[in-house]
Amino acid sequence: MIQRQRNKKRRWSDYICNGMTYGASAISAIVLAAILFFVFIKGASSIRWDLFVQDYWPSNYSITIETDKNKVGEFEVPTSLDEDAYFSKKWGIVLKDEKDGEESVVMTQIVPDSPFHYLLDQSVKNNISSFQWKEGLMLEKLDYVDKQGNTSMAGSLFMQNAEDIVKVLDEDVTQITSMYVKTKGGGIRGSIISTFYLLGISLLFALPIGVSAALYLHEYARKNKVCSWLRSMIEMLTGVPSILYGLMGVSVLFPVTQMFGATTTNLLLGGLTLAILLLPTIIRSTEEALRVIPQSLRDGSLSLGATSSQTIFKVVLPCAIPGILTGVLLSIGRVIGESAALIYTIGTFINDSPGLLTQGTSLAVHIWSMMNMEQPNFEMAAAISLIILAFVCLLNISMKILSKYWYRKWN
Amino acid sequence: MEPIFQVEHLSLYYGEKQVLKDLNIEIKKNKITALIGPSGCGKSTFLRCLNRMNDLIENCRIEGNIYFEQDDLYHAKRDVVELRTKVGMVFQKPNPFPMSIFDNIAYGPRCQGIKKKQVLMEIVEQALKKAALWDEVKDRLQDSAMGLSGGQQQRLCIARAIAMEPEVILMDEPTSALDPIATAKIEELIEQLKKSYTIIIVTHSMQQASRVSDETAFFLLGEIVEFDATSNIFQHPKDKRTEDYITGRFG
Repeated sequence: MIQRQRNKKRRWSDYICNGMTYGASAISAIVLAAILFFVFIKGASSIRWDLFVQDYWPSNYSITIETDKNKVGEFEVPTSLDEDAYFSKKWGIVLKDEKDGEESVVMTQIVPDSPFHYLLDQSVKNNISSFQWKEGLMLEKLDYVDKQGNTSMAGSLFMQNAEDIVKVLDEDVTQITSMYVKTKGGGIRGSIISTFYLLGISLLFALPIGVSAALYLHEYARKNKVCSWLRSMIEMLTGVPSILYGLMGVSVLFPVTQMFGATTTNLLLGGLTLAILLLPTIIRSTEEALRVIPQSLRDGSLSLGATSSQTIFKVVLPCAIPGILTGVLLSIGRVIGESAALIYTIGTFINDSPGLLTQGTSLAVHIWSMMNMEQPNFEMAAAISLIILAFVCLLNISMKILSKYWYRKWN
Repeated sequence: MEPIFQVEHLSLYYGEKQVLKDLNIEIKKNKITALIGPSGCGKSTFLRCLNRMNDLIENCRIEGNIYFEQDDLYHAKRDVVELRTKVGMVFQKPNPFPMSIFDNIAYGPRCQGIKKKQVLMEIVEQALKKAALWDEVKDRLQDSAMGLSGGQQQRLCIARAIAMEPEVILMDEPTSALDPIATAKIEELIEQLKKSYTIIIVTHSMQQASRVSDETAFFLLGEIVEFDATSNIFQHPKDKRTEDYITGRFG
């Protein structure tokens, strides 16, 4: 009887314990799913191919048409014409209204032989060059000569929409004097390039230094107090807030980049700062990998008359590569996700053509900049978050495949 | 005949603990010497003294002398790396490197700076033939050594040791992780190798000792109780403890 009661009591406590673990894992799964869902809902619609290839800053051009082509023609309506698009029969161009933030009229298509194939860029005085028509150019203002020979103007600047402009083009325009066009902007091409710069620089420095340090700590160093003290110092570095690394970068490393000719915060500085930030991660994962390599392999190598350095570099290190790859993966995730350490070191200016010694933003800092504007752009931030998530996911999978391949090759 | 190893008053300590107590033994050239005894009696430790693998263990201290070919093994100026090329070792568990079969065997020679593919190929072929493994692996030298069976892996390890053309091969319970058939093959191989190498083998199996060895040393609690020709040890043991051990009364 007593036994049975005890069993019952124990069963209830089992239920509670199990329930707690189920509940906890359910909560974490739901929270993660909710975040993904939010980001996806907000950002998915903003992801277009343009985003990856476009500049962030719009650029303005004043363009015109080559004189001998600058005349009215007759063009067939293109077969694939959207419902909300308008086609100018006399100039062979498709216009469309776009309400992306502010209203604008964009040129979406030109038919073959259209005068718009022969554009000239006259933005710079005395230096007229040819101008390549691009899909998505915004037509802001159009100066033209009308049928009576008077000059007149049209365009979205005068609150005209695509339909109005096409009407003007077909009924009134005999010659186009000049046009003001604007590229769309808002793209993240520059930030993607900057991110790769940062990845390259930080891994270039952190990987060899981190792996060598781990080899020293685990293989060469005597197992004494100094060594364990050193190790716990390194592990402590993982807990340092990254903004401190940023401060350290800008105060200690900036003079180093100055020697290479940097005048502002720059990507090299950011990469070097990140390299320092990554060191503990790489050292730790490499050491972890070295720890599981059986002593018998080292003994085997030494018994064949290999020196300890030969043993380490020919046997131990290749065995540790899957573990090192894990460290690299963690590092890449860290670099992509880091923003605090970078704000001081690379700046927050979104740069469309970043270089080693110029400012630029990584994708995470790009988000920071977008959210720090007068009107935070949630959609864009969510879209970039999605891109980052997708990239990290892709990376994870490829690293898994790589280390599996490595494992399978030798085991 | 000149002994290849001459051990005089060898004592070994791990920290404060004395593991080997005043050992004296002479190991003859081109003979198979078996070291038997219960677990923890110091036979493996003694074996690892002979190619100075104990150097790697911290807190390990040695007293007494070992002479290898009349030279002091623990002389301060002794080149340990060179010594290990002359005194090879095979371990209890097969420990091939996670590389191809070819690279495993070419590892030792490569560490000595041999780079020519032709020369390496020759060395690998000879070593594999001597280890009776050539016919089994000649078509897949570039495959991972980890794909071989346990017995093959152990013969690969022997081949790897042979590739260095050592004078002595130390074997630390080379068949304890293998099945009877693989064990038989290894024993056959040891018999073959006797012609060109001195072999010192630690074994738990008394049958193995009696089958393969010429001389046997019986270890107990860090001491050598008896050292004699194998037939004498097994048929006319002089010491009571040896008799008790080989008849299975303890151990």
